[in-house]
Amino acid sequence: MTDERGGPSSPRSRAPVAGLACVLALLFVVSLGVGPVWLSPAEALGGLTGLGSEAARLIVVEIRLPRALLALMIGFSLGLSGAALQGLLRNPLAAPSLFGAPSAAAFGAVLAIALGLVDTLSFALPVAALAGALVSVALLVLVAGPRASLLVVILAGLAISSLAGAATSLALNLAPNPFAALEIAFWLLGSLEDRSLRHVLIAAPFIAAGTALLFADGRAFRALTLGEEAAASLGFPLARVRFRVVLGVALAVGGGVAVAGSIGFVGLVAPHLVRPFVRNDPGRLLLPAALAGAVLLSAADILVRMIPSQGEIRLGVVTALIGAPFFIWLVFARRRSLSGEPA
Amino acid sequence: MSTPLLAADRVTVALGGRVVLEGATLALRAGERLAIVGPNGAGKTTLIRAFAGLERPKEGAVTLDGVPLAGVAPRARARRIGYLPQGHVFHWPLPVADVVALGRLPHGAGSAADRDAVAAALAATDLEAFADRPVTTLSGGERARVAIARVLAGAPAVILADEPIAALDLRYQLVVLDLLARHAAAGGAVAVVLHDLGLAARFADRIVVLDRGRIVEDGPAEAVLTPERLAATFGVSAAVERRNGRLVVIADQPA
Repeated sequence: MTDERGGPSSPRSRAPVAGLACVLALLFVVSLGVGPVWLSPAEALGGLTGLGSEAARLIVVEIRLPRALLALMIGFSLGLSGAALQGLLRNPLAAPSLFGAPSAAAFGAVLAIALGLVDTLSFALPVAALAGALVSVALLVLVAGPRASLLVVILAGLAISSLAGAATSLALNLAPNPFAALEIAFWLLGSLEDRSLRHVLIAAPFIAAGTALLFADGRAFRALTLGEEAAASLGFPLARVRFRVVLGVALAVGGGVAVAGSIGFVGLVAPHLVRPFVRNDPGRLLLPAALAGAVLLSAADILVRMIPSQGEIRLGVVTALIGAPFFIWLVFARRRSLSGEPA
Repeated sequence: MSTPLLAADRVTVALGGRVVLEGATLALRAGERLAIVGPNGAGKTTLIRAFAGLERPKEGAVTLDGVPLAGVAPRARARRIGYLPQGHVFHWPLPVADVVALGRLPHGAGSAADRDAVAAALAATDLEAFADRPVTTLSGGERARVAIARVLAGAPAVILADEPIAALDLRYQLVVLDLLARHAAAGGAVAVVLHDLGLAARFADRIVVLDRGRIVEDGPAEAVLTPERLAATFGVSAAVERRNGRLVVIADQPA
């Protein structure tokens, strides 16, 4: 009977991963087919492999593949970041935006747009966004100190997030012309429209590095179920774990923001959808949550292409519209335990 | 005498610049049951945390099996010392068996020995029927047993427990202390922070009294729990009596 309870690789924990991977593969193919020109899955795969028509190849490889890849990568990193943060903070309401990295990355990008750097240097925007994310981590460590308690880290993150938000507003306020202001505003909404493989290549190394960091501490998250004291006594160096997670989130989310703008709520929602399948184990949650994030963002990015409207609805708008009510429901459902009463 | 499992040699700990533990010298040997008592703020938790390697002494050193604890790898330390913090908190509704398995984290992942240790800990704490229940649905007494089972599953030589029976009813107080006493009887060592002096006398073969950061007594209950000591350290006028072979402390406000 103990076999069923299982370790990280028991059949029980593999089943949801396999299921999510199948759904993701399906969505990936659908994503290659959806747009102004609809392609059947066969046509899309034909275009991808170069066996189909030249037109299909062009549409799939040049236009839709980068978009599908980015949705997958960014969704994956957001879901993983959310699960890692929730594990670290032992709180189901934790989200990647908590430590200020996404808003700092957004500010970096906005600054690049406002200063007109984007027109002269194509790499300026993603580089500025990543710089923003990394500066926010440095600032966080500086303000909170290397051995800070979690509450201090959260409050410092909140302050940094507010500062980045204010700075973004200032940039918008001082935008040199209405077009720049509009560009900033639209960019902030988050989108995967008109992205190329170059964007994929820009984001990939950062998302890969951040993802690797976040996958490293599954056992520590499991130990943290018992609280920080007990986890430390079980031999986990929590100061280092915290630093790895904050840096991992900044790299992974910063890489995503750099090419897609702000996309909220995926990191918050994804872990919840899969938590029951891993029996609430915060260590085993990481991979399924990452896959669920990729599924969510891929589905949302297909959805924005299907909603009939003048111009495309922005991806960040859709995720927020679906995610925010979910967040409200979550707070409502957990308000008793969140107010400190026993669950 | 043999090398103590765990020993503090003139350990001083400062928190936020304030000295909360001063020159504590204490040894814990295999088979020993130690109770740490003292008024609130006397440094009991700090002493036990320093013992567990979670507090770095400003002066002095803690040794594990004769080796300075500061030089022992955290994971190796975790295999020898089981620490049970106050409160028995569980942040996720994990099944009880999975919580108990957390005690095996310092050992590795999912070996047969791990599964056997978890099964044995569940059996020892009489929790087999709860194995699949989410831990957050259990009562306080049941959770306390889960917390003990988690520590037992790690098979540490030393168990350090900070007020493990706070907020438990009379029966569970005895159940928990009995589980810890059994660990000592099996060749381990146990140090427990307690508030109930009568239970401390019943449980421990040695009592350490802390007063304002200093160890002021260290010995068997009869020698340590005297009316004079209780007046000096706790500020109470107390009668210490022996009933049915057990030490009973009846405290009153000083006149």
